[in-house]
Amino acid sequence: MLKITHFLKSKKTWFYILISLLLIALPFMVSEYITYVVVLTLFYAMIVSSYDLLLGYAGQLSFCQGAFYGIGAYASALFSIKAGFPVYLSIPLSVVITALVAAGVGYPALRLRGAYFAVTTFFLAHFVYLIFLNEVWLTNGPLGLRGIKPLEALGGIDFSSTTNYYYLVLVCFAASIYILYRTANSNLGKMFISVREDEDLAESFGINTSLYKLVAFVISALVAGIAGGLFAHFFRLLHPSTFTWLTSEMVVIMTLVGGIGTIFGPLIGASVVMFILEFLRFAPELRFVIWAVALIIILIYEPRGLVGLVERIRRVKR
Amino acid sequence: MLNIENIDVSYGEVQVLWDVSFNVNKGEIVAFVGSNGAGKTTTLKTISGLLHPIKGSIKFLDNHIEKMKPHKIVELGIAMVPEGRRVFPYLTVLENLELGAYTKRASQYLEDSLEWVYQLFPRLKERKNQLAGTLSGGEQQMLAIARALMSKAQLIMMDEPSLGLQPTIVTEIFKTIEQLNKQEITILLVEQNVAKALEISNRAYVIENGRIVLSGDSESLLKDKEVKKAYLGI
Repeated sequence: MLKITHFLKSKKTWFYILISLLLIALPFMVSEYITYVVVLTLFYAMIVSSYDLLLGYAGQLSFCQGAFYGIGAYASALFSIKAGFPVYLSIPLSVVITALVAAGVGYPALRLRGAYFAVTTFFLAHFVYLIFLNEVWLTNGPLGLRGIKPLEALGGIDFSSTTNYYYLVLVCFAASIYILYRTANSNLGKMFISVREDEDLAESFGINTSLYKLVAFVISALVAGIAGGLFAHFFRLLHPSTFTWLTSEMVVIMTLVGGIGTIFGPLIGASVVMFILEFLRFAPELRFVIWAVALIIILIYEPRGLVGLVERIRRVKR
Repeated sequence: MLNIENIDVSYGEVQVLWDVSFNVNKGEIVAFVGSNGAGKTTTLKTISGLLHPIKGSIKFLDNHIEKMKPHKIVELGIAMVPEGRRVFPYLTVLENLELGAYTKRASQYLEDSLEWVYQLFPRLKERKNQLAGTLSGGEQQMLAIARALMSKAQLIMMDEPSLGLQPTIVTEIFKTIEQLNKQEITILLVEQNVAKALEISNRAYVIENGRIVLSGDSESLLKDKEVKKAYLGI
């Protein structure tokens, strides 16, 4: 009983309840266009938070998160178009494929450390993009993959409507954030931190550091794969240009802007970045210039990212 | 217990150890002394499997370990207290200790081991929920030693435990080492503080430019003219 009253009195609880209610009520409060942008933001939020497990906890800088997003998207689209699988099957299959690719690449690549690993993943990202672009027989190349089926209706809920799909994505998003948060704060998370802080030292206790780095890499790829699959049947048009190395770069930037090693920080980062970029659409040429200046200012004045800013404000209040 | 025979070790093209042989018997404190760059740390890294010798053999309790991976060697029962303390600053004292008992063999005894090291280092018990980075230098060294003890190792290798600590703490650390030895833990002690190391050890090896130049029981080495001149400054 005491626990419950404490729970209800805590400001944090009310904050989370408020955020959840806002997210649930969102489609009724804003235009369909905004809902649409929020769905895209949720995809990025999933990718970025899972990337934080790799960068913020296991300390491995990679530049191929966008590639896993792309593999998830293309794989699911192709399973549904070429093999005629229902979307309920094609998305899980695409996630398996993404995880397999991550394991296959990560196993040798994670033997490299620091910058060498980062560069290798950068090439992976570009390699995957070139496949999307050039293997026309499979991906329809620069013309893009069209005619991707929407998620089949289930129990009378039509998922081709933006609002309904928004709720589906919201559930997937909440589930993956919860799992990522629990993972980060579990024993596994501690192993990741030990690798981040001192790989040699961790190894000297008998911790198989290569294994834990691989686990972090595969988990982060897996969540990106889920987001990719969901994206394919939402946007219903895939083009290689969505999955260039810039996408991966954007993931790194969103994570840094949000504040690494917190899981929630990158969420804020993803939302802020997506909305700034979306609202800057009125000035297409200057969009990335304004954005770059904003980024530099953030990194100079609050290197810990937006999470650091939030903490600073809270401290001033006290 | 630990038998090292004629090992040569190199970093790429550069050979660092030449024909190094020595042994550590159960229950001993063996000091391994020498100046900067003599090859002390390299020797420890080779025993713990982070480096592999290009020639020679290392035997621990009848197992050849010269080609084994570090985590396998830890499981066999060799633990290392690394140079410069090296704790995980953003994990708590307790979490640091738990990581020390990571191996299957050690994790069975986690609770007992914790109680034991808390008894040895009551300070750590007081601070178990504190981040390791907030401990003082001496406390961090205690934590690094305690963490090695958590692995249920039979042989503990210590790399310069006195480095960068104030003299009173250094004395305390050396007392702790003697105390551990009384609890039947074998210790291989690498030190630049030659006088102190020779005082508490049973036997010692002196290494210079990657070769062992002197060995014997510590008491007689303390009186040795060469040692006095080169390392003790008398």
